[in-house]
Amino acid sequence: MIAAPRAEDASAPPAAPPMSPPCDVPATDIAAPATLPNVTQALQKGEKVRILAIGSSSTLGSGASSKSRSYPSQLESILEHALKGVEVVILNRGVAGEVAETTAERIKSEVALRKPDLVLWQLGTNDALARIPPQDFERTVRSTLRWLKENQIDVVLVGVQYTSRLSRDPNYIAIRDSLQKIAAEENILYVRRYDAMRFIAQTRANLQLMAGDNFHLNDLGYQCMAEHVAHALIVSLFVKRMRPIHN
Amino acid sequence: MRAPNEIDFWRGFALVTIFVNHIPGIYFERFTYRNVSLSDSAELFVFLAGCSMRILVDGAARALPAQWLVFRLEARAFNVYVAQMVVTEMAIALLAATAFFLDAPYLLDWHNASAVFNDPVRAHIGLVLLTHQLGYFNILPLYVVLLFIAPIVALLHRHAKALLPFVSFIIYAFALIFGVNLPTWPVEGTWFLNPLTWQFIYVLGFLLAGTDGIGGFARRHRSVLSRLAIPVVLLGAIIAFSDFSPDPVDVPEPKLLFTFDKTFLSPARLIHSLALTAIFARTYKIIAAWIPRPSEFLCLLGRNSLIVFCALSLLSLMGQILRFIFGGHVALDALIVILGILLLGFIAWTAEWRDRLRAKLASKPLSPPHSAAF
Repeated sequence: MIAAPRAEDASAPPAAPPMSPPCDVPATDIAAPATLPNVTQALQKGEKVRILAIGSSSTLGSGASSKSRSYPSQLESILEHALKGVEVVILNRGVAGEVAETTAERIKSEVALRKPDLVLWQLGTNDALARIPPQDFERTVRSTLRWLKENQIDVVLVGVQYTSRLSRDPNYIAIRDSLQKIAAEENILYVRRYDAMRFIAQTRANLQLMAGDNFHLNDLGYQCMAEHVAHALIVSLFVKRMRPIHN
Repeated sequence: MRAPNEIDFWRGFALVTIFVNHIPGIYFERFTYRNVSLSDSAELFVFLAGCSMRILVDGAARALPAQWLVFRLEARAFNVYVAQMVVTEMAIALLAATAFFLDAPYLLDWHNASAVFNDPVRAHIGLVLLTHQLGYFNILPLYVVLLFIAPIVALLHRHAKALLPFVSFIIYAFALIFGVNLPTWPVEGTWFLNPLTWQFIYVLGFLLAGTDGIGGFARRHRSVLSRLAIPVVLLGAIIAFSDFSPDPVDVPEPKLLFTFDKTFLSPARLIHSLALTAIFARTYKIIAAWIPRPSEFLCLLGRNSLIVFCALSLLSLMGQILRFIFGGHVALDALIVILGILLLGFIAWTAEWRDRLRAKLASKPLSPPHSAAF
C-alpha cells in the first residue's frame, strides 16, 4: 500500500502506477528508492509539480512516432493519473547526442530560469560513445548533482538504455557502472534503465522496445521508460512519507 | 596578406583552443585555459570579432557611404552564413557516412543531428533559419547574427556614438533580467549562445578597439585597469579550479545576473573575459619576440579565421569519430591535436597562397589565349 503524498488526502493514498504487461519488470530492476523532499513538499502543499526533463535523444523522443509519445509526455499523464488532483508539468529539454558536460551547462540555465521542483537527468549514452573518460564523466555529474542539491532541487538520474549492440562495449559498461556508483554514494534516485530493458529483452524476446536502428526506443520503449520512471518516483515519494519525521 | 598583429594572434589562439575544447573527453582539454577561467575561448572569439569590425569600419570602410557600408557588411554576413550552411551539411554528411559505413546508427544522434534524419522536413527549414543548430556548431550561427546586425552597430557608431554602448547594454540587461533568448525549432529549446546577450561583448570589442570613447579611456588607463584585472582573473581561476558556482536559490532575482551562465553570458563571465583582455592586451609583442614561429603560425590562423573555423569544426568532429572508433587514448589524442593543428595551418596557408597567386597573376599581363575554348 502506498501512502498519500498530499497531507490532506492521507486517507486516499495513490498507488504506484501499475506497469503494463509488456513493461512489467521487478521493482528491484528499476531503482532503489531515495528521498525527494522538494517534490514531497510541493505535493503536501497541493502545488503544481514542475519537472525539468533534460538529457539527450531518449528525452527528446528520437524514434518515437510523435512528440506526445516521448517519455516526458507519457510520464506527465501517468503521474497526473497516479497523483490524482495534482497538476504535473514536465518541460522537455532533450538535445540528441549531447554529452553530460554540455547538458550540465544547460541544467544551470534552465534551473535558474524555470526553478523546477525536480530534474530528471537522462545521461551516459553519448559520453560512452564519445569515449569520455569515466572519471571525467563522474566529476561532471557529481559537481552538477551537488549544485542541484545545494539549490534544494530534487534530481533523478535516468541511466543508459540496454541495447545488445553496446552491451559488450567496455566504455558503455564503465559509464553505466559509474552512474550506479555516483547514485549510491550521493544517495540519488537512479533509474536503472539498462537493467529494466535487459530484463524485458531476456524474458520477452519477441517484444520490440527499440526502433529499427536497434539503438533508439520506439513508442513502446518510451512507454516502458515512462512507466519505469513513474514507478521509481512514486515508490520514492511513498518511502519518504512512511519515514518517521524527526524534529 | 596582413602583417602579424595582436588581433590575429589572439584569434589564432582562440581557434586552436576551440578546436581542442570541441573534442569532448580529449586528454589535452585539461590544458586549455577554461579550466582556470570563468570565461572561455568563445568569449575571446566574439570579442575579437568586434575588434576586427572596428578596424574595418575605421580603416578600409571609413570612406564608404552608408549604403555601401551596409552592403559590404551584409555581404560579409552572408558569406559567413553560407559557410555555416556548408559546414553544417558537411558535418551531417560526415555523421551519416560514419554511421553508414560503421553500421553505427547512434552516430546520427550526435550533436543534435537526429532531427535532420528523423524529422527532415522541419529540420531543414530550421537549419536554413539557424533555429536548428548542431552542438559544437553553435558559435558560427551567433557570429552570423552578429554580422547581420553589424551595419546597425557601424551606423550607430558613425551617427550616434554615445547611443551604441547604451543600446547594446540595454538589450543585454533586458535579456538577462527577463531571461529572454531566441527559440530553437523544430527541437524545442533556446540558442546555446544567446545573441541578445552575446552582442554586448561583440560591441564591447568594437568599442575597445577604437582610440576614442571607451577604447580611448581603456588605453589611457591601461596600467590601472590591468592591475585591477589581476585580482579578478585570480578569483576566476580559484572559482573555476574549485568548481564553485552560485546557487540560484540563494542569489536574488534576477538570478541570471549572479550565476555563471554561458548561454546568457552572465556578468561574471563577461567581467572575467574583459579582465583577461586587460591583462593580456599588448603582451603580443613580448610573446612574438619570445616564440616567433608559433606566434606567426597563430597569426596565420587568425588571418584566415573563417576558413580555419569551418575546418576546425569538421576536424574536431573527425577527432570525435576517431576517438569513438579507436577509444580515447592519450597517444591518439596527441595525434589528433598535432595533425589537426597542422592541417589548420595548411588550410590557412593554402588560402593565402591562392591570394598570392591571384595577385601575382593579376600583376602580370596574361598572354593571349591560344584557344578560344580554354
